[in-house]
Amino acid sequence: MDFDDTPDEAAYRARVRDLLAEHAADLVHLDAGEEAGDAAEQEQALRRTQRVLADAGLVGVAWAAEHGGQAGSLAQQAIVGQELARARVPALINHIGLGMCGPTVVAHGTPAQHERYLARLLRADDVWCQLFSEPASGSDLAALRTTAVRDGEDWVVNGQKVWTTLAHVADFGILLTRTDPGKPKHAGLTMFVVDMHAPGVTVRPLRQMGGQSDFNEVFFDDVRILDSERLGEPGEGWRVALTTLLNERVAVGGGGNDLGLSVESLARLAAAKLPGLTPERRVLARQAVGRAAVAALGNRYTGYRRLTAISQGGLPGPEASAGKLAGTAASRLVSDAGVRLLGDDAVFAVGTGDDGTGEDGAGRWQRNQAWLPGIAIAGGTDEVLRNIIGERVLGLPPEPREDKHRPFDAGSRA
Amino acid sequence: MNFDLDQDQLDAAAGARRFFTDQASPAAARAALEEGPVQPGRQALADIGFLGITVAESTGGGGGALLDLAVVAEQAGAVLAGPSLVTAARAAVLLAEEPELAAALADGSRAFCVVDGSSPALDAVGADTFLALVDGDLVVGGGTVVTGQPMDATRGLGVVTLTDPRVLVPDAAALWARARDVALVVLAAEDLGTAGRAVEVGVAYAKERHAFGRAIGSYQAVKHSLVDAWVGVEQLRSLVWWSAWAADRAPDELPLAAAAAKAFAAETLERAAETCIQVHGGTGFTWEHDAHLYWRRAKVDRLLLGDAAEHHDVVAGLVLAGALS
Ligand SMILES: Cc1cc2nc3c(=O)[nH]c(=O)nc-3n(C[C@H](O)[C@H](O)[C@H](O)COP(=O)(O)OP(=O)(O)OC[C@H]3O[C@@H](n4cnc5c(N)ncnc54)[C@H](O)[C@@H]3O)c2cc1C
Repeated sequence: MDFDDTPDEAAYRARVRDLLAEHAADLVHLDAGEEAGDAAEQEQALRRTQRVLADAGLVGVAWAAEHGGQAGSLAQQAIVGQELARARVPALINHIGLGMCGPTVVAHGTPAQHERYLARLLRADDVWCQLFSEPASGSDLAALRTTAVRDGEDWVVNGQKVWTTLAHVADFGILLTRTDPGKPKHAGLTMFVVDMHAPGVTVRPLRQMGGQSDFNEVFFDDVRILDSERLGEPGEGWRVALTTLLNERVAVGGGGNDLGLSVESLARLAAAKLPGLTPERRVLARQAVGRAAVAALGNRYTGYRRLTAISQGGLPGPEASAGKLAGTAASRLVSDAGVRLLGDDAVFAVGTGDDGTGEDGAGRWQRNQAWLPGIAIAGGTDEVLRNIIGERVLGLPPEPREDKHRPFDAGSRA
Repeated sequence: MNFDLDQDQLDAAAGARRFFTDQASPAAARAALEEGPVQPGRQALADIGFLGITVAESTGGGGGALLDLAVVAEQAGAVLAGPSLVTAARAAVLLAEEPELAAALADGSRAFCVVDGSSPALDAVGADTFLALVDGDLVVGGGTVVTGQPMDATRGLGVVTLTDPRVLVPDAAALWARARDVALVVLAAEDLGTAGRAVEVGVAYAKERHAFGRAIGSYQAVKHSLVDAWVGVEQLRSLVWWSAWAADRAPDELPLAAAAAKAFAAETLERAAETCIQVHGGTGFTWEHDAHLYWRRAKVDRLLLGDAAEHHDVVAGLVLAGALS
């Protein structure tokens, strides 16, 4: 066991730092939770940032070289993540593409699809989204109703997706559709790559509880998709989607990364705020900070264990769901401790200053607090993840699933 | 970075599991509640070398790392073995410059107990050699032990009055602090084993017990509480390994890691033990069932060497002082 960088890793880290310093002027720098004023400007800046990083060899670090990656190790990938956070470079704009869509295209795409999409995805020349959820099928994803009907060389898609993160800026999406309603619900699905700029695709931003719009409704009206854009065989869509979901588990919290503001930022805020509290409040605040730090550290090191296991050849298994559960819980503790430390600023953002205590700081903690309920839902709700762990890791008996073997059009759709 | 046990440690854990399941058990822990001996007992632990894992080779120990001891302690915790390896690990640190006493620790010829002020001390029952910090000096001596009605007989708790203490190491505050941190790590490792076993026992029962025509483990109320307990155990495992590694390889991180592990262990074991009883229903509330033995450990261990609140405060203090930057 060793947490220190190996000599190779240390050299790699030094190189990453040098590269980040060298390109600093071309990269966006934001504190977690901080936002630029103008959304369109921010999008362009984030695309440029990812392109600069990709050209410097810092995107897709662990992807195979034949797919435009660096053929590096997961440890190197983690090092890049740490150094980006340290340099206050925000999450890459194409995080859904990198975390979920790309690996799915790699696993199930044809060589022509690899050629067409992967290099552009890494450079954020194309931004990607994941079009799975629908108004009536979130947790019960296989109950989706968006149809794709074969018409010569094309498929014609009709239906609606919802809560689609980044659809408003995306160029492509992976789209799960129903192609055979006469089959049981898991058997009649097919996956496609869809051009988000194609005729018949309408994207409508949804406003989230925190006020921002990161996700959208997406409508498909007679959208034509070439058969060559299919991912996997017709009727094999569920198997393809499982690849996406497997990668999602690791991408969202499975590597021990903080899901909201980091425990380090909580420590900075606490150092600034604690001395001003009454002794009684200070005791309570220290308890909250201590508890949040323990949870965050436990999650961080569990993520390291998982990365170690995957880098030794293991697959990202259902255990990774535990990382998201624990990560969400830890992030809530961190965020709640942070918001409470703000005192009066916790209920409205006032003042100035960039030490986490002023206008930006207060707004940052509040935004983060309003983001976390979404984390406990996105990518599998806490309840669904508990079912997965209970059944697939602990081996507990499954819940009865009455609609599993019935044809979809004969009553699966409740 | 490589956060996994190596093959030697995996082998040591497997060997320890065999030893402890042969020598100790919840049944033995139950018997100890009614005046039976604590199993496997000090001499058996000394003979297999577990008391000396971290004692220097030159004085008859294994010269091993704290992580080597932690993986063994986890197995001890799983069967509620006693006396605790916490005492051995802590004494090994305190006696690092005392070859004769260290040799006596490793071969079991002396029964050590480490005393914190007036708190009930772990492994006081049957001890003949007591270590304490008095006025900043490490002292050694005999002692008288007052025992009460043990909540968990395997812990050998007693209130100790030192007799004839002599100074072993003057100005030993730093040494004492390190030894206490090491004790926190090993206690958390034993609790990891106990909590993991409590979850296993609960899961096994949830698969076989039926109610309303289904195995109870198929009900989410039951499934989800077992999952939450299991997730806690996996997080605790990470904190135990990190803190044990830090003791050997990154001493600056040890105070933070040890306090984090102990705080998390206290709450994780308690939840695992309470979940285990709840999942068993009325059976879980009987004397014959093992569930209360895990519960007893939980209720005692959470308070030993400082409770979760105390360690959350330690963590907060270190974090504020820049331990994470
Ligand atoms: C911030 C955010 C971003 C998202 N981004 C995307 C995206 O990019 N692409 C995309 O396709 N989707 C996205 N989603 C959608 C997300 O995947 C779904 O919201 C999620 O799967 C839950 O589905 P639902 O909202 O339909 O809730 P439902 O499935 O209706 O669940 C409602 C409640 O019932 C519970 N429940 C449901 N089934 C069970 C069960 N079997 N056992 C116990 N409880 C159950 C749930 O836990 C929840 O509490 C996003 C969601 C959020 C919040």
